[in-house]
Amino acid sequence: MLRRIAEVGLAVLIAVVIGFWVWPRVDRTPAHASSAARNTQLAPGAAQPVFNFVSALPKGDWTEPAGDLANTRYSPLDQINAQNAKSLKPIAMFSDGIPHGQEGQPLVVNDTMYIVTPFPNNLIAIDLKNLTGPVKWVFHPHPNPVAQGKACCDTVNRGAAYGDGMIVYQLLDDHVVAVDAKTGKQVWRTETGNVYVGETATSAPLIVKDKVYVGNAGSELGVRGKLTCLDLKTGKILWVAYSQGPDSEVRIGPDFHPYYKKDQGANLGVKTWTNDMWKHGGGTIWGWISYDPELNMIYYGTGNPGVWDADMRPGDNKWSITIFARDADTGYARWAYQVEPHDNYDYDEIMENILIDMNWDGHPRKLLLHPSRNGFMLVMDRQTGELLSAKKFVDSTNWASGYDLKTGLPIKNPAKATHEGIVTQGICPSSTGAKEFVPSAVSPLTGYLYIPTHNTCMNYEGLHANYIAGTPFLGASVKMYPGPGGFQGALEAWDLKTQTPVWSVKDKTYPVYGGVLATAGNVVFYGTLEGWFRAVDARTGKILWQYKTPSGIIGDPMTFLGPDGKQYVAIYSGIGGWMGAVAFPDISMDDPYAALGVVGAMNGIKQASPPGNNIFIFGL
Amino acid sequence: MQIRMVGLLLIVLAIACTGCESPGVTEGDAPPMPATAVPVGPIPGNGVAPPLGSTDPYINNPVALEEGRKLFVWYNCYGCHGGHGGGGMGPSLRDQSWMYGSTDAQIFYSIAQGRGKGMPAWGTKIPEDQIWKLVAYIKSMRTPNEPDPPR
Repeated sequence: MLRRIAEVGLAVLIAVVIGFWVWPRVDRTPAHASSAARNTQLAPGAAQPVFNFVSALPKGDWTEPAGDLANTRYSPLDQINAQNAKSLKPIAMFSDGIPHGQEGQPLVVNDTMYIVTPFPNNLIAIDLKNLTGPVKWVFHPHPNPVAQGKACCDTVNRGAAYGDGMIVYQLLDDHVVAVDAKTGKQVWRTETGNVYVGETATSAPLIVKDKVYVGNAGSELGVRGKLTCLDLKTGKILWVAYSQGPDSEVRIGPDFHPYYKKDQGANLGVKTWTNDMWKHGGGTIWGWISYDPELNMIYYGTGNPGVWDADMRPGDNKWSITIFARDADTGYARWAYQVEPHDNYDYDEIMENILIDMNWDGHPRKLLLHPSRNGFMLVMDRQTGELLSAKKFVDSTNWASGYDLKTGLPIKNPAKATHEGIVTQGICPSSTGAKEFVPSAVSPLTGYLYIPTHNTCMNYEGLHANYIAGTPFLGASVKMYPGPGGFQGALEAWDLKTQTPVWSVKDKTYPVYGGVLATAGNVVFYGTLEGWFRAVDARTGKILWQYKTPSGIIGDPMTFLGPDGKQYVAIYSGIGGWMGAVAFPDISMDDPYAALGVVGAMNGIKQASPPGNNIFIFGL
Repeated sequence: MQIRMVGLLLIVLAIACTGCESPGVTEGDAPPMPATAVPVGPIPGNGVAPPLGSTDPYINNPVALEEGRKLFVWYNCYGCHGGHGGGGMGPSLRDQSWMYGSTDAQIFYSIAQGRGKGMPAWGTKIPEDQIWKLVAYIKSMRTPNEPDPPR
């Protein structure tokens, strides 16, 4: 009995100590300025964490697109928990007045919320101390209207990053702009691309120390993918790393050591293409960028190779559909791993790369988690680029049966290969992927990765295409439709230890096209294309609470501490993006090949989800 | 005065459409129009009703419609406006909504002159008779004459 009391006492003591350590400190230090490299934070009484964090977590504020630099989208805030989430209610709501897709997430810095709108890419500052009053200010950058007709998949923007007192983000017409976070005045603006040849910019920057990293978009228009690094203070371009071309332009030097033989050799960015096709080789970087402070390396994925007609570009087409690891200062590549050589399906791998430290086969390893567009959950050693595991996370996936971990190559299904002039039927997933760019979240409390998944398939015919600058270099006729099983999407919990799915919340009608947030309160947040915003139990997948917003959710939830010290959760409601654009009046339902083939997968969306953007803030 | 204005516009159009002329329309054919007849409607560009005679010579010509469909793919129109014109990066051509006018000539000018939200000006790239074939194909959408309709 005494022993029992001692055990309980010890447990309580541990819980109190951990609880004291963890209890929300209203610390508004930007994540990247914190020196804490590892700060696994446990809820009181929780079991050992399944993994360790690599970069500092967001506390009261949210200063980077994913909250932290490692793209975990995990918040240590736990005031909203699995017990009280049912009492969530809307606290405030703002319209940005734009009926185009609202992707990404707001930032919160010093009691101010910052929202980047789709084109015309206005920046709106909301005073969190005055939620019923007028907005603080709106910055109007007036980008070139031509950009609207060059963006493949709606005129979206995936958000901003904060650094050195500035909000930094990309404009659709290939400019990076830095705006004074207090005054709303432009500090600098730098042109990074040529909108007239079809280059656009939709992704969120990453800010690390004194540098800003941005990627471009436009693989459907035959542009060259590139990552641009700018000086945070001045906006000066420091270096550019292309996704194809000679090694000097890809920034491949003597420190480049790809793990697999297939990725080794000189000037593969030219040699793996026919003639000069690499000059229109796509491989744009329109997704997320991650950073490991200890290794001082950045990680990102590249998009599809230029022209979807695979027969027009014999070869591996490097470095499209590739995960790059680069020195964060010099930009020189340390390793690269091409996820799918010679893409047949438009499987951009610009997905989030989530960096965690975890035991793998009994040894601590520095991992990179990459839930692929192609349906396989890639687990990699982020120091070496070795592929450790690649299991299917969406059952219908049939373009390949798996990955050969020895060679790093996918085991392709020849029956699903695509060719010019031939309609290959029943390819799963569709070009929109087993998941889209919308980011997953991970929790150390459950050891689960929460993936927003799609179950969409397609018929695909390669078409010979002419390169005409500034027009789509597309080369395919694609028709998508819901996959087998009676559902088209799910929020899926994936066990990191066993690399198997644990539970899923299925969406019968539409893919899950919004991002995910995991919190220390064991609550996972996400939204649906029909506009439902949900709080789900992180352990069981039980829907704890949901709220119907007026339009489809394609944005990512984030959480912060308000000026009153209370936890809030924010989400955009505003349909659009590639699949969501079918809700717009200027896309016709009687052409299933419209909008690059997504119309056939979006039945009823015009009625289910009218366009129009709002941001919602929820609290207890 | 009005004649001079119309003449000037035709010269501007000719420059925008190098190497091609509107069929059956020359400067001398342009009718004098009183200023009050010039619409100031929502159509950007010249703001004048298209000259008489500029109807599409290929409307409902099955061979030309097939040709128009091929050109629609050849010039990458389908990449923006959808595989069969249902829209995407650019607006649907299958619906009843026409931002810049739905007459043959207005559609011709939208292709030839381009539009401000990203529609390229094709007048210097595509011969005039091919533009008219594209117009004929676009106007055939959702009609029984549409070649290779979506299915």
